[in-house]
Amino acid sequence: MRKMLKSSLFLILILAMAVLTACTNSDSKESSTPSTDGNKGGTTNDGEKVSIEFWHAMSGTGQESIDKLVKGFNESQDNYEVKAEYQGSYEESLTKLRGVGGTKDAPAITQVFEVGTKYMIDSGYIEPMQSFIDKDNYDLSQLEENILNYYKVDGELYSMPFNSSTPVMIYNKDAFKAAGLDPEKAPGTFSEVIAAAEKLTTGDMKGFSMLTYGWFFEQLVATQGGLYVNEDNGRSGDATEALFNGPEGLNVFNFLNDMNEAGTFGNFGTVWDDIRSAFSTEKVAMYMDSSAGVAAAINNSPFEVGVAYIPYADEVQRNGVVIGGASLWMSKGIAEEEQEAAWEFMKYMATPEVQAQWHLDTGYFAINPAAYDEENVKEKWAEFPQFKVTVDQLQDTVPGLATQGALISVFPESRQQIVTALEELYQGNDPQEVLDKAAEGTNRAMEIANKTKK
Amino acid sequence: MSTFWRKSVDARTAVLYLLPSIILFSVFIFYPMFRTIYLSFFLTDQNGNAAINVGFENYQYLLSSSEFINSTKATVLFVLYTVPIGIVLALFFALLANEKLKGIGFFRTMYSSTMGISVAASSVIWLFMFNPSIGMFNRLLSVFSLPQIQWLLDPEWALLSVAISTIWMNLGFSFLIILGGLQNIDEHLYESSRIDGAGYFYRLRRITLPMLSPTLFFIITISLINAFQTFGQIDILTKGGPSQSTNLIVYSIYREAFINYQFGTASAQAVVLFVIILIVTILQFKLVEKKVHYQ
Repeated sequence: MRKMLKSSLFLILILAMAVLTACTNSDSKESSTPSTDGNKGGTTNDGEKVSIEFWHAMSGTGQESIDKLVKGFNESQDNYEVKAEYQGSYEESLTKLRGVGGTKDAPAITQVFEVGTKYMIDSGYIEPMQSFIDKDNYDLSQLEENILNYYKVDGELYSMPFNSSTPVMIYNKDAFKAAGLDPEKAPGTFSEVIAAAEKLTTGDMKGFSMLTYGWFFEQLVATQGGLYVNEDNGRSGDATEALFNGPEGLNVFNFLNDMNEAGTFGNFGTVWDDIRSAFSTEKVAMYMDSSAGVAAAINNSPFEVGVAYIPYADEVQRNGVVIGGASLWMSKGIAEEEQEAAWEFMKYMATPEVQAQWHLDTGYFAINPAAYDEENVKEKWAEFPQFKVTVDQLQDTVPGLATQGALISVFPESRQQIVTALEELYQGNDPQEVLDKAAEGTNRAMEIANKTKK
Repeated sequence: MSTFWRKSVDARTAVLYLLPSIILFSVFIFYPMFRTIYLSFFLTDQNGNAAINVGFENYQYLLSSSEFINSTKATVLFVLYTVPIGIVLALFFALLANEKLKGIGFFRTMYSSTMGISVAASSVIWLFMFNPSIGMFNRLLSVFSLPQIQWLLDPEWALLSVAISTIWMNLGFSFLIILGGLQNIDEHLYESSRIDGAGYFYRLRRITLPMLSPTLFFIITISLINAFQTFGQIDILTKGGPSQSTNLIVYSIYREAFINYQFGTASAQAVVLFVIILIVTILQFKLVEKKVHYQ
């Protein structure tokens, strides 16, 4: 017994050590933040640069590109210094912001995803971009109108658009040839896609697939001119009722259900990498992806890749796409020089040269269309004409309430409801029934959000 | 007064000695716990502050919500899938590794090695193996020309797939504890039984298992609680999907609190989970501990 005690004590000691070392690791990480905070406080000293923090959620190539752009800004002038800090995914960095929002410890600039827009406006943490635009007489017309439309609320711009993407349909041109379809003309309507999917389905390869993610559903509803919620998509007041279970949403679910029942739809789950690898390993011939994924799809596929507009229901006009991605928000409650610094940085990020570089590095849109006239962009487009399709689709979009995108504070929750509805649909449940259930869940979430809003 | 002061000197000294742990416990356990119970009676605003007192409405909503009932069912199933198999396997490997052979140290290290890999790292590896297009398992199936399985995408399979990877992840820890228990059994017991002519399985049943029962009881309790609190592998492998089939209670709490920002209902779920684990543990102590053989 004593021996056992001894050995278990030893074990506990080792465990405790592991826990402690884990703690010290994270401690050392955290302790580095206050030092940058310290810099932030003493910014008014003569000759010292104003230093601000920039929280972003870009990993991989996006992070590399941001670091490059930030370095360029810091070297371009002597007054300000921006420190870019990766804070995890969009959800994670937003959670962190909730902890410090509205205090002087908040970062001067935070990148927040598009569906966080309503939340940020309601939070009171932020300085509307419009006040600086007015003060500085900044010419907004140089930026892409369709992108501004999304982020404008009641005619005012609250945040600076930064990385914007839209959905596209990516397809395997070689498979189109093999199936006797025209590889230069992708199917446009739901019924055309269904017909093409049937021809394309052979052995291991499915015809069509879509990531199980609410964003794509929103887009397929919007391109039919359908609204997501009431109160003009939440733009003329706080939305109280979901509308996505109406005829447009049902069209989308029926479209997916038809292919699922016919066995021409491939379900590759909720992870982006899974559906992308399914495409490049020829397990699916057509799928929907973000425009930011086009470059990778072309590079990773051993066959010819085509890019097309997203499909729409046969009986309606195509309305186009809603902007996705994220924008930059300026904090309120920090020193004035810091806000100035943030504003200078945001202006820098919107210049054509920077946007051209960003577009080429990541595949996100240039929010400043003048970037598309830059030499390096033209060269790349000549090499990969598929990139141009994504820009054309955005510029062909009909401005309206539907394509402006919905504005609700509980979007992340609503998207989760849609994911569940899609998964249940693929298990053979009734389209209207699962949609109604998702709408009900969204309604409850909106009701609570409206009730608890100050 | 002064006599009371003098009489209570022992109690005061005791409190002084307990103070460090009382402070730590209060900060990290008691305060969060009472705060959770408090929040479970409220609807919270966007910043997570208590906004509207709704009494027991959050609990009523949970108990009538098909999603939560589904989460509870999934959690119980998950516990049943992972705990018994995990412990039996660990016991089996520990018995093997307890034999005195040349180079057994190598095998002992191998069997316990999963303990050295974090849940996150091993989940990512399993994620690749489960991948529907390029994963190892589906490749193997196609080599034997068996039908492909949508490991993490089919609601029928997803929970099972997560359970398989969890059993693997927890094997190292259970193995190590059980092996430790086996090594502590007095060698003389075996020697005497061998002289009496007892066979391997007789010794296993009459000596090993009874002598091991305190260790087994410990590992069963820990494994049960761990299984109820599973989170990391769910977050990485399935995110609660497909069709909520792997939405275990802890993951559902996380989603409610940090994606939906409904700290009220999330706290109510946490309290319900606490009660469930409490009941299971009490039952275990009442029913199972009687059979445990302490020396």
